Amino acid sequence: MKKIEAIIQPFKLDEVKEALKAIGIDGMTITEVRGHGRQKGHKEVYRGQEYNVDLLAKVKVEMVIPDGRFDEVIQTLTTASRTGKIGDGKIFVYDVAEAIRIRNDDRGESAL
Amino acid sequence: MTTVGNRLSKLSRVEQDFLESGDALTALAERTAEVDQCVLRAASELLFPGASGAPALLAVGGYGRRQLFPYSDVDLLLLFPSERAAEERKEAISAFLQKLWDSGLRVSQSVRTPAECTEVHDDNSELNISLLDQRYLAGDRTLYAGMAEKLPRFLSASRESLIRNLAKLSRDRYAKFGNTFYHLEPNVKETPGGLRDFQLICWLEQLREGSCDPSSELKMAFRFMARLRCYLHCLYARDANVLSFEAQDAISEQWQHADAALWMRDYYRHARTIYRVAGRELENNEAQASSLFSQFRDWRSRVANQDFSVHRERAHFRAPQRIDVEPELVLRLFEFVARHGIRPSFEAEQRIEARLTKLREQFAESRETVQMLLRIFSLPYAPLAARSMNESGVMAAIFPELNQIECLVIRDFYHRYTVDEHTLVTLQNLWSLRGTEDAPQKYYGDLLAEIKQPGLLMLALLFHDVGKGVDPAPEQGHAAASVEMAQVALTRIHLAPQDLETVLFLIRCHLELSGALQSRDVFDPQTIREVAHRVETVERLKALTLVTYADISAVNPTAMTPWRAEQLWQLYLMVYNELTRELEEERIEGVPTGSPERVAFLEGFPTRYLRTHSETEIDEHMALEARSRKRGVAVEIRRLDAAWQLTLVAADHPGLFASAAGSLSSFGMNILKAEAFANKRGLVLDMFTFADPIRTLDLNPTEVDRLRSVTERAVSGKLDVRELLKNRPKPVLPSRKARIPARVNVNSEASSAATLVEIVAEDRPGLLYDLASAISASGANIEVVLIDTEAHKAIDVFYVTAGGAKLEEERGALLAESLRAAVGAGTAGAGG
Repeated sequence: MKKIEAIIQPFKLDEVKEALKAIGIDGMTITEVRGHGRQKGHKEVYRGQEYNVDLLAKVKVEMVIPDGRFDEVIQTLTTASRTGKIGDGKIFVYDVAEAIRIRNDDRGESAL
Repeated sequence: MTTVGNRLSKLSRVEQDFLESGDALTALAERTAEVDQCVLRAASELLFPGASGAPALLAVGGYGRRQLFPYSDVDLLLLFPSERAAEERKEAISAFLQKLWDSGLRVSQSVRTPAECTEVHDDNSELNISLLDQRYLAGDRTLYAGMAEKLPRFLSASRESLIRNLAKLSRDRYAKFGNTFYHLEPNVKETPGGLRDFQLICWLEQLREGSCDPSSELKMAFRFMARLRCYLHCLYARDANVLSFEAQDAISEQWQHADAALWMRDYYRHARTIYRVAGRELENNEAQASSLFSQFRDWRSRVANQDFSVHRERAHFRAPQRIDVEPELVLRLFEFVARHGIRPSFEAEQRIEARLTKLREQFAESRETVQMLLRIFSLPYAPLAARSMNESGVMAAIFPELNQIECLVIRDFYHRYTVDEHTLVTLQNLWSLRGTEDAPQKYYGDLLAEIKQPGLLMLALLFHDVGKGVDPAPEQGHAAASVEMAQVALTRIHLAPQDLETVLFLIRCHLELSGALQSRDVFDPQTIREVAHRVETVERLKALTLVTYADISAVNPTAMTPWRAEQLWQLYLMVYNELTRELEEERIEGVPTGSPERVAFLEGFPTRYLRTHSETEIDEHMALEARSRKRGVAVEIRRLDAAWQLTLVAADHPGLFASAAGSLSSFGMNILKAEAFANKRGLVLDMFTFADPIRTLDLNPTEVDRLRSVTERAVSGKLDVRELLKNRPKPVLPSRKARIPARVNVNSEASSAATLVEIVAEDRPGLLYDLASAISASGANIEVVLIDTEAHKAIDVFYVTAGGAKLEEERGALLAESLRAAVGAGTAGAGG
């Protein structure tokens, strides 16, 4: 099993959700986050005062998927969230040691 | 085992009967009778075998009043003469209770002495309240009679503390449900307007009057709620009270109601009936119970006037019969509500409701209606007034279109409230921005303070979702349907055409900004240009940003996260900067239609000029230009609703703007807003909106002519403005604490063709003259001006050039220095 953590542009969220749903992935956790990588913040001047936007609004999408679906999910995620410009975001992948469904103690991929 | 078997078979008969007939009251009574038998049997077997030391057995709570729902707790009270007597019978009590549990009843028991029953339990007010519904079942009659005799006296003597405890329990419960009954998946027992509230009404009346006789409307609401709860118990075979979407669908199927959303509207109507009466009873009782409150109440009664009195924190008509001849009295009542935050009395509401049909006609005919509405919507408690107008039916009498969204359910994952409640919450959210001190809400609050007619925003919010009630075609969307309905409604009450246009724009575009945030890259300049193009002016952008804020935050209490509020604010900033940049850069080119004079006149003005002025105004300005040819200058002064306006056309020359501003100041006028435009031929059009604080122009019509001639002479250099201003009294500056720190910012990057000068400072008479003079003295030319005043804060934006280009760095720095000096000694300059 793999845990996928994708930091994407907020306006791409609906598209990403739709694309994942289309390949049968609809379990995910979504968090509103702020941050920056290479796309540094920018500066607006409003009424003579500088207004710095150094942390940009992003959305974090997290999900755990079976190993067999890894390539397909990453492919879908990148296609749906890509605009080609700086600021599109990043995807991080982790190995998952175990998954347990609390309700009935299911283990492994059947708990996903 | 047989007992359990009997109970189940009997119960399923009760359940079956209920499911067939839908008659909950019979089901509750039958279930009570059934449990009575079961309890009495167990009691005679285990609790009362010996003659001495037997307790009295009482049914309390819902069981006591014979309204036992299929899976509700069975509340029992065992009354012993003393704690010791109870201690001695401990084993018998546990055997008795165990027997009941074994027969499948969920027993909730308490063991008390008569003394305990007749004392106030602040930490267990449920005990006191449950005794209001006590009923003798079996056991020691003398013991019971002793307690029953004392009980009424106790209740009457401790009425105040009992009511206080009951009120606290209810208020806590309301808070848990966000103080509204409009929940899409309500709890039929606990949600405001549910069964608990019906009981609350009965208890309060009982405490006050000794008995309770609910109105037929209330009884009907109770039957409706009881039926739903009974059904939920049957459906889930447990004490389940949440009317989930799933349960709503199951009920629709069971009773062959077409659509759950339709009968849920009945649910909200019944809940509203209960909630309104419960709220009124609570307030009445709280008001009576608190002496501190009554002092406050007396103080509040001082706001009473010739039309309305204030009694027990409610507004009353002094002469209710006058409504018939003077229907505007009704709207004045809501104006009173909006001004003082005191709601109408129940009697006043009833008087109004009885006359709604007649009022409907009168509101539609009167030209006063719209003025009154806009006034109500600008006052401190406007959302409260809107809510009371809605509750009393007055809002729907003015705008029958709103009936379409009454209690309307739109099922989706995010919306917590019905459409009408969502609408009222948007109004509250908009108003709650006033006076907030924490970012990011503070930014929006400042924006709201800059809105000249907040009433128009309120009208737009009132109508923004009415289209949801008419089932619009999917390709049309509800915004377009809302626009159509608002247009009909607002034209009917004679809203001024330019105001109507603003309101319709806000409704049409109310999803524009949230849509851009959700599905567009806001850091793409193209997105910003497109949004700016749709919004057209800064004034509209401000209004739309606020409408969007109010709308999103009214979806559910947590929808407007700080993350989202910041995103919306960034979008506002970027579009704002795009629009102000456009102001200077985008010039009208190739006027599509019109006479050669018109084309020549418009050519080279900023596009903002076209966007902010109607055809009629442009015609007037052209006429003014024709007049100016003879003497090089023409000035027009006219009265607006609450202010005056001076329009000036002249050939451009240094110091022109400053001398016009100075002339106005020399007459003691207070400049609220100014705009300056220049076209390609060097023609300048300046517009000043100003207030006349001591009504000089109103009281002395000849002064209008003198102001006109002084301005003309000052502009053409025949009069020295400095001389005129010498005689003006020095303004009194506000205390140091209240002062607004001045900021001067000279920016050569914001625009491609001019230097942007922004000044935010404490407003004072003559400030604009001083600033404009400083700019002229530095040799710079003013291209575009945007002046705004909010309370005591002046926000002045100038686009300046020197020799047709941006200012050089050195000159810019010198200008910033002299502007800081011009703003006033003693206020430190910052920024830049």
